[in-house]
Amino acid sequence: MPITVHLDDVLARRRMSLTDLSQAVDITLANLSILKTGKAKAIRFSTLEAICAVLDCQPGDLLSFQPDEPPGR
Amino acid sequence: MRQQDQLVRGAAAIVRIGRAVNGLLFVAIAAGLAGTWVSPGFHRDMLVRADPAVDVAAALTGIRFLMLIGVAMTIATDRLLAPLAGVIASARYGDPFVPTNADRLRRIGSALLALQLLDLPCTLLARYWPSLGSAAPAGGISVGGWLATLMVFMLARVFATGSLMRDDLSGTV
Repeated sequence: MPITVHLDDVLARRRMSLTDLSQAVDITLANLSILKTGKAKAIRFSTLEAICAVLDCQPGDLLSFQPDEPPGR
Repeated sequence: MRQQDQLVRGAAAIVRIGRAVNGLLFVAIAAGLAGTWVSPGFHRDMLVRADPAVDVAAALTGIRFLMLIGVAMTIATDRLLAPLAGVIASARYGDPFVPTNADRLRRIGSALLALQLLDLPCTLLARYWPSLGSAAPAGGISVGGWLATLMVFMLARVFATGSLMRDDLSGTV
C-alpha cells in the first residue's frame, strides 16, 4: 500500500510505548498495533486527532504517501 | 437473546424436517410419475373408478404434467431450503453478516422465483385441462409470493452491501 504509517518513529522520538499511547488516547492496543504495522484499511479522523493531540504532531508526521511503481518498469 | 437462540434453533429444526419431508415427497412423486409409464393400467383403473366418463388418455397426460411440475417444485424447494439452512447455521454458530449469506439469499430468491413461475403451468392446467377433474391444482398467481421473491432479492443486495461495508469497517482504526 502506498500509504506508510510512521507511528513507531514518532513514538520512539517521544520515548513513548504503544501501551502508554493506547491508555492516553483510549484506543485498544490491538487496534493501535494494527495501525502501527500498516494493516489498517482506514483511520478515523477522531483517532488521528487523538493521536496527534497526545504525540503533539501533525497527521503528516504519522502518514506518508509513496506512489506504487507502475507495472513494467 | 435467549429467545432469539430458541427461535434460531426452532427454525433450524423446522428447515431440517422440511427438507426431509420434501425429499420424501420428491421420491414419492418421481416414483408416481415413473409408475404412470411402468404400470399405466393401475392409473387407468384408478381414474375410471373415480369417474367412469373420464377421458383416460387426456387425464393420464394431465396427471403426468402435474407430477412433473411436482418434481420440479420439490427440487426448487430443496434449492430454497438448503441455503436457508446455511443462513440459519451461520446465525446460530457464528457470524451471519457475511458475503456468503448474500449469495445464499440470492439462491433462495432464485428458488422462490422458480416456485412462482411453476404456479403458471399449474394455473394453465387447472384452467385448460378439464379431464383432470378434482385432481386439478388450485392454480392462481400469488401476489404475496412475488412480493416475497422481490424482497429476498433486495435483502440479498442489502446483505452484499452491508457485508462489504462491515469488511471495510473491520480494518478501520
